[in-house]
Amino acid sequence: MDPVSLRRRIGYVIQQIGLFPHMTVKENIGLIPRLEKWKDEDISLRIEELLTLVALPPDLFSSRYPNQLSGGQQQRVGLARALVMDPPLLLMDEPFGALDPLLRMQLQNEFLSIKTKLDKTIVFVTHDIEESFILADRIGVMHAGKMIQIGTPSELLFEPENEIVSKIIGSENKFKAIRFLQAKDVMIPLNNNCLIENEISCKETIEKMISNKIEMCIIKKSNKEIAQVSLIELLNIMELDRSISDFGNKLLIVSPDDTLSSIILLLKTSKDSMAVVMEKEKILGIVRINSVLLNLL
Amino acid sequence: MVAVFTLLDAIIQQLSLVFISLTIGICLAAPLAILSVFYKRISYFVLTTINMAQSIPSFALVAIIVPLVGIGFLPAIAAIVLGSIVPIVKNMYIGLAKTDTALIDTGKGMGLTDLQIMRHIRLPLAYPAIFAGLKFSAIIANGIAVLTAIIGSGGLGRIIFEGLASFNINKTLSGAIPAILIALSLDLIFSLAEKKLKSKAGY
Repeated sequence: MDPVSLRRRIGYVIQQIGLFPHMTVKENIGLIPRLEKWKDEDISLRIEELLTLVALPPDLFSSRYPNQLSGGQQQRVGLARALVMDPPLLLMDEPFGALDPLLRMQLQNEFLSIKTKLDKTIVFVTHDIEESFILADRIGVMHAGKMIQIGTPSELLFEPENEIVSKIIGSENKFKAIRFLQAKDVMIPLNNNCLIENEISCKETIEKMISNKIEMCIIKKSNKEIAQVSLIELLNIMELDRSISDFGNKLLIVSPDDTLSSIILLLKTSKDSMAVVMEKEKILGIVRINSVLLNLL
Repeated sequence: MVAVFTLLDAIIQQLSLVFISLTIGICLAAPLAILSVFYKRISYFVLTTINMAQSIPSFALVAIIVPLVGIGFLPAIAAIVLGSIVPIVKNMYIGLAKTDTALIDTGKGMGLTDLQIMRHIRLPLAYPAIFAGLKFSAIIANGIAVLTAIIGSGGLGRIIFEGLASFNINKTLSGAIPAILIALSLDLIFSLAEKKLKSKAGY
């Protein structure tokens, strides 16, 4: 395959940003479209669209030279330039490596919001494992030119392929990961046997639990109210004919994207030990904070 | 004292010697410099030859031209080109070759061909260096153009040599002063152009 046409279909952002100092922001972004012989008005429309996407007002910035921009603004122009041909793939080679920590954090947050808007595959190279945990959906760990493991943050953290991966990930400092791990990474998927959705009596519930050999079940009273009850609690109840929805300890509800640290905070304030993960009225699983913390140590 | 008409004639001759040689110099230097950027072996050959050429005294160069191509205006041009091409090639090569590698990488990564990188990145970024080379070359050319009067090129050198031969101080000066003024104004004009190119992009 012709490398030039291949490269034109990959958006490329490098650490040094590499804006051409002799060209304005407009000319930098419009270079490839100009070489591809786009119409002038198409080029300027595209440039405006992209500058708006990266939060740089076009009328203020399009005629500036790179040395009239701050580091963060330059990196955003770099991103806009990489996106100009609307490539299906974006290759970012340590784009935030040379920035100061504060700016870096800000750009990472912006990157996350742009990422959802773009809907593109992004290959993001970084040496900063925390950065990869914050930004990535899947992380590939490379060592000595070989891809050792590809997986979600929690897979890498809890099931590292070998010593090298666990060393790179920093498995001995797993607790650091509470800032990045999300509910969906650490939850225990809910077994349907453990879920009671309809109005049945306590007696039926006990029978169901004994026949399924489970100790605890989740009661879905409504979309807003989920409770948990254990077999021992039920056995202590005298009025076995009453509906199960009268019993149970209310559970906290979190969404799959909530971070572990925010869940821990919620649970600490409410003094609960578990939360239920829900998405669009469907119960996905439960987070038992003690077992999660045990895994992190 | 020289007649005004003769002086004007000499100045025009002098300037045409300088600018014709400069134009030929650029035409020869550009392909050499561009090829040198792409091919290491050529760059080695070009740079060695050029460094050697630089060490030849201008007067010897003018002398050597005579047995090779004879005397007159054109042989003089040949001598001036040979003597003044060095800074053009050298600055052009350095300007084109020493572009920030990050910019070249970016250009390549974006999908520019080598020629497009040359045209849109290397060349515009090398303008200041190239103009510095042209300035230097123009000044040297002016210097050699005075010497080539001895092989019949005409120009201000003729007035100077005639003045010297006849112990006519006034005549000598009326050739030398315009030659000096030409050198100074060449320097000024090229410096201004260089500055303008630099400030335009602000790099």
